[in-house]
Amino acid sequence: MYNTKERIVNASIKLFNDHGIASVRLQQIADEIGISVGNLAYHFKNKEAIINSVYEKLFEDFQQILGAYLKTPSLLDFDSQVSYYFDFFKNYQFYITDLFATEHPLPEVRQRWQEFMNKMIFQIRKRLDFHARRGDLTPQTEATYDILSEAIWMTIVFWIPQQQMRSKPITETRFKNAVWNNVKPYLTEKGTNEFSSMILPVFI
Amino acid sequence: MSPYKIDENVYNSLLELLNDAYFVDSKGNFTDFQFYHDDHWLSDSAVIDNLIYKRGEWNIELVFALHTNPLKFIKRQIMSYSCLKKATLSASLMRRMAAKDQRGTLEVKVEDFKICCN
Repeated sequence: MYNTKERIVNASIKLFNDHGIASVRLQQIADEIGISVGNLAYHFKNKEAIINSVYEKLFEDFQQILGAYLKTPSLLDFDSQVSYYFDFFKNYQFYITDLFATEHPLPEVRQRWQEFMNKMIFQIRKRLDFHARRGDLTPQTEATYDILSEAIWMTIVFWIPQQQMRSKPITETRFKNAVWNNVKPYLTEKGTNEFSSMILPVFI
Repeated sequence: MSPYKIDENVYNSLLELLNDAYFVDSKGNFTDFQFYHDDHWLSDSAVIDNLIYKRGEWNIELVFALHTNPLKFIKRQIMSYSCLKKATLSASLMRRMAAKDQRGTLEVKVEDFKICCN
């Protein structure tokens, strides 16, 4: 059983996803979990405090995913990190408005996003280096892998919003397919074998 | 939110180190554990405390001797006291601590030394 604070945060995330951060009122959040606004105010003194908690949870989750870098030296490691990214970006769909918002209730959030997104690109780039060194990917120039890492990053971050915009289904299999399609042309024979023996069977 | 931030270059080099870990690190050889085998006899040793008066202080020495072959031993100086009583007490406590063995405290017999009195 969640405690009330967690329920409020989870309900807020859902409402932020549906309506955007700016248009959600405290009354809506209270209604969502069936408590009074007075009770809500007992746990969080204002909307800003709720937003703060939501972002704390969001960045904590993001940190967890970044922490899952190269736990095992295989392509499967990237695959599982992609799964985490899917869950994350699906859970916090309001991130997309955040990335392009000119003004934000919490100014430091913009900087945090930038920081985390940069880390994400660095990780993807270094992962490509690792797999090239391991013989899973064909040797390419630095510039090629720089562009590839950015392409993978773009797919991970913007695939869900584009599906949403086109009213297409958002499933993990399609998401993973989209991400892996960037990598597939660069796989060596060894990489292809590993991909078909280890990753394809667990494609959800 | 954490006030600590990491520089981009540092982050990149950390990732590189993580990458390297799978290529540079290799399994150890059995010979690397030789020191462990070399010291294995110490687990079967008896401990003897010894007090030596040196430069105005009582030095506590512990002698670890193999109970089957007492001529195989090592001697370690632990610490020193200016007071003999303190040194005696501390030495006996240290000996008991060092000699703690589940099979009971091992003993070294004088006869095992086969000392030649000539």
